[in-house]
Amino acid sequence: MKDRKIVCRCEDLTEEDIIHAIEEGYDDLESLKRYTGATSGPCQGKGCLMHVIRILCAKTGKSPDEVGVTTQRQPVNPVPLYLLAKGDEK
Amino acid sequence: MRVAIIGGGIVGLATAYNLAKDGVDVVVFERKYLLYGASGRNSGGITAMLNNERLIEMAKKSMKIYDEVQSEIGFNFLYRKDGYIKVASTENDLNKLKEEMNLQKRMGVKVKQIDANEVKDFIPDFNADAVIGGVYGEGGVIFPWPVIWGYAKGCRELGVDVKDYTTVEEIVVKDRAIDGVKANGEFFKVDFIVNAAGAWSNEISRMAGVELNNKIIKEEICVTESLKPYLDPYLLDVTTGIYLSQSMRGEIVGGIVGNEVESIDVKGSLDFLVKYAKRAVELIPKLKGLCILRQWAGVYDEGKDIPNISTTNVKGFIQANGFGKFGMCLAPAAAIEVTRLIRKT
Ligand SMILES: Cc1cc2nc3c(=O)[nH]c(=O)nc-3n(C[C@H](O)[C@H](O)[C@H](O)COP(=O)(O)OP(=O)(O)OC[C@H]3O[C@@H](n4cnc5c(N)ncnc54)[C@H](O)[C@@H]3O)c2cc1C
Ligand code: FES
Repeated sequence: MKDRKIVCRCEDLTEEDIIHAIEEGYDDLESLKRYTGATSGPCQGKGCLMHVIRILCAKTGKSPDEVGVTTQRQPVNPVPLYLLAKGDEK
Repeated sequence: MRVAIIGGGIVGLATAYNLAKDGVDVVVFERKYLLYGASGRNSGGITAMLNNERLIEMAKKSMKIYDEVQSEIGFNFLYRKDGYIKVASTENDLNKLKEEMNLQKRMGVKVKQIDANEVKDFIPDFNADAVIGGVYGEGGVIFPWPVIWGYAKGCRELGVDVKDYTTVEEIVVKDRAIDGVKANGEFFKVDFIVNAAGAWSNEISRMAGVELNNKIIKEEICVTESLKPYLDPYLLDVTTGIYLSQSMRGEIVGGIVGNEVESIDVKGSLDFLVKYAKRAVELIPKLKGLCILRQWAGVYDEGKDIPNISTTNVKGFIQANGFGKFGMCLAPAAAIEVTRLIRKT
């Protein structure tokens, strides 16, 4: 079996999957993460965002600054609905 | 003839696609990435259960067009037609639903009234005590992202220049007619400009010296971890404005129908999550153990006419905006109207 370099464990994505998407033209970070699903799993990219950025930089020749980072959205960690439902409404 | 379209959302791209099929030379300007606007942030609810004849007609057509365009372009929109349910918890709201249903039926939409218990036929663990009744009809859920990517691909294959990360900074008008547009410092000479900038349409219109005054609505939404597909229809509680559905990826995507805001902002709030969680758990108690992974907000614009497809007193400046909360339901058919309007102007 050939090597599978896993980039995003939550969504089961390999380096090849990411490179393929970049070659398809999804070559800015915002489009790339949405097209592949990388960073959208339970850890919300804590495990993979940096790898995705690294691959994108290598492939496009851009610097990490040019590639940028994506908006981090709340919640920081997953929160169950029953807990939220106990909150106070404004 | 050359047309510039401002806004790379569903309205802009669908219009570009139709114009290009007609052989028109088109350039699309999107300030950020495709999906930045409401078209990349919405819940993908598709229905023709709307409240006036024009909208119903447009939505019916759009549902058909989605099917055609998917195969034309060769892109899967993940369009799941498992129905659309509206429930109400006040008599007043339920009566409104019934009235609208009668109109929808007259216009050939497949829709029927259901009582609170019958909701369970579609959503097994629904709490019938949470509502007094509702309506069920054809419709479903589409995944907005592949819709946008698909239309963009279709556009590019037809030779449309889709320019992302390109901001329109100025609209040049000469003798009350469009001369061109300046984007990222470069001038493009065009005969028509289509203002498909969604919540930003007021600003764009001002650049052409045309007053627009669409309302700006902010809407919040969130997504849970994935479950095995089990929730078929899209569910909207008209009394609280809360809606939810399951995406093809298994996540439960849900939000609360938005409110008018003074200025554009896309920050998510804890207040929203609390409100949403309370009602979602009331409607489907089983959801209570699910975790919210991510929340966000989007902005859209609502015209005095929904949608606003019109010429203006600047020759060549066309409005295609004001779609309100139904842009995904309406845009494919609306785009054909915009194309016709340009053709006959
Ligand atoms: C949370 C939420 C849920 C929704 N749920 C549904 C639903 O279930 N069903 C449904 O039918 N509709 C729904 N909607 C509404 C729907 O998303 C909108 O009606 C639709 O996306 C509007 O599309 P648009 O192309 O007009 O605008 P947008 O998608 O907002 O596109 C406008 C684009 O113009 C760009 N732009 C702005 N200024 C400039 C400039 N100067 N130069 C270049 N580009 C510029 C913006 O960046 C933006 O990408 C929902 C909306 C939200 C926010
Ligand atoms: S590793 Fe990619 S989202 Fe968790």
